[in-house]
Amino acid sequence: MLTLLAWKNIWRNRKRSLIIITAITFGLWGGLLAGAIMMGWGESMVNTAIDRDLGNIQIHQPGFTGDRDVTHYIPKGMERINSIRTLPGVKAASGRTLVDGMAASPASTFGVRIEGIDPERESGVTNIKDLLVTGQYFKSNRKNTIIIGKKLADRLNLKLNSKAVLSFQSLDNSLVYGAFRVEGIYKSQSSAFDESHVFVLGSDLYRLLDSRPIVHEIVIRVDASNVMPVVSAELKNEYPGLELKTWRELAPEVAAIAAAMESWSYFFVGIILMALIFGITNTMLMAVMERVQELGILMAVGMKKGKVFLMILLETIMLSISGGVCGIIVGAATIMILSRNGIDLTAFASSLESFGASTTLYPFLPAGMYVALVAMIIVAASIAATMPAWKAIHLKPSEAIRTY
Amino acid sequence: MSLIKITDLGKVYNSKTVPVEAVRHLDLSIDKGEFTAIVGPSGSGKTTLLNLIGGLDAPTYGQITIDGTNIADLKPSDMVEYRLHHIGFVFQAYNLIPVLSARENVEFIMLLQGIAKKERRSRAAELLASVGLGERMNSRPNQLSGGQQQRVAVARALASHPAFVLADEPTANLDSESTSALLDLMDELNRKYNMTFIFSTHDARVIKRARRVITLEDGMIKPD
Repeated sequence: MLTLLAWKNIWRNRKRSLIIITAITFGLWGGLLAGAIMMGWGESMVNTAIDRDLGNIQIHQPGFTGDRDVTHYIPKGMERINSIRTLPGVKAASGRTLVDGMAASPASTFGVRIEGIDPERESGVTNIKDLLVTGQYFKSNRKNTIIIGKKLADRLNLKLNSKAVLSFQSLDNSLVYGAFRVEGIYKSQSSAFDESHVFVLGSDLYRLLDSRPIVHEIVIRVDASNVMPVVSAELKNEYPGLELKTWRELAPEVAAIAAAMESWSYFFVGIILMALIFGITNTMLMAVMERVQELGILMAVGMKKGKVFLMILLETIMLSISGGVCGIIVGAATIMILSRNGIDLTAFASSLESFGASTTLYPFLPAGMYVALVAMIIVAASIAATMPAWKAIHLKPSEAIRTY
Repeated sequence: MSLIKITDLGKVYNSKTVPVEAVRHLDLSIDKGEFTAIVGPSGSGKTTLLNLIGGLDAPTYGQITIDGTNIADLKPSDMVEYRLHHIGFVFQAYNLIPVLSARENVEFIMLLQGIAKKERRSRAAELLASVGLGERMNSRPNQLSGGQQQRVAVARALASHPAFVLADEPTANLDSESTSALLDLMDELNRKYNMTFIFSTHDARVIKRARRVITLEDGMIKPD
């Protein structure tokens, strides 16, 4: 009956309760939406990095990621790729031959990472193929074709079918040159990546390196993010002599930003709840002050202070949860609608490119955050209830029953 | 043995500034089954005495012994428990919980006592029937007249099986008809169940019906 009484007490002053419920609803709606946008942004940066380049897991010869020495290739790389592709949980795997070198045009030169790939397999692990703004993705029968980023094309003043000369160190430390014709120009969400990564056929690179097929990097995509730890553990077990890293280890800055976005989402909602605590406290204080006589009567007839405290606490929690549930429903509905079509941020494209985030933002909040939010509301309501409940239990029944 | 025995009771308010001795060196004894009115002009100490007997205020000095227990010795939390199980209250302004029905108001005391729902329901219905409100059990206080509300308050006071009922000016807000009906009810409960009623009043109609009248003046009992 105490719960029923608390619920009925909320609706004594319907207008006042509705005002605070509306305030909580709007506050949470704004908080959730801001949180979802931040989470969406973080997720966008992660997905963009994974889709464009990183994949979920990468395997290298130990030391390669530090010194980028072209001789540190993975022994029996091709065989291992074929073996990895058959593992459960692995969606796709591709090998890359990586050399750092210079790209030169008649206009300029620039340091680049040259990635020798198998186009078919590479399109299973990254989406460079889908990012082409002009040209095609290794469909030509010509030798020495190259796909370059838009930023590099602009910097070197290269267009489709223009020639660029790549120079890099060979396996025997001699300098190798090769002329490549631009077959496609891509534009990803990161201008820094576009400026520094070029793609050529692995077979063209082996010829220039005067080498049999070698692989410096195996990129793996998994079926779903939740199987990544299992696949990663299995691969570590299978290839103890190789260096295996997940995308989180490969791009800790991206992982940190994504984690920070989640923390900021909680922080943002927390700030809003903190502001709401004052409003709720004020409402409940008014409710207590209006019922001084009745609270005095309750204590006079034998209601213990603990129960009076509990009653005020329940009222506050119910009031807050009512607003919280409305806020969550409205917020979740808004997020669901926006996540379907995305938010077009093309107007801020240049700024977003420097962060490596997509220009279409898909806000989202994990289900766990909604659960955490309900817990946060209950905690906030409990804090808000403290002062009114404290005031209520410190009333003197003999004086309170004579308050009109 | 007296139900209530008061010995050298005193209550001083604002003792640090201007001390006001609301009750002074009062000795009183009330037996089981009495129908007693405490009367006197405003400021004579009626309400203070009732608050002291009901354990709502602590005496400055003296003793109040109820059924052999000196309530002045009880800790505040024990006093709340004592009030819940031993004392029924009827206040001047009805003081029902407005959001609860008549039945729920009566049940509430039993809920605090930890009585099971089934028993609460049946006793509340029985009590409301005995005060003539069997048909209005589900009405909220604002749907009842002042007299009806005060009868619900009497039913609530009796719900806890108290040793006695304290009523502070129970007829102050009632018209003659309702006053008469309420007095008839309390009189009947007193005679039928030997329930002890102690009420403060300056209503002549109530004084007339009381079987014992204690007159207070300046915090002391005025000799007859």
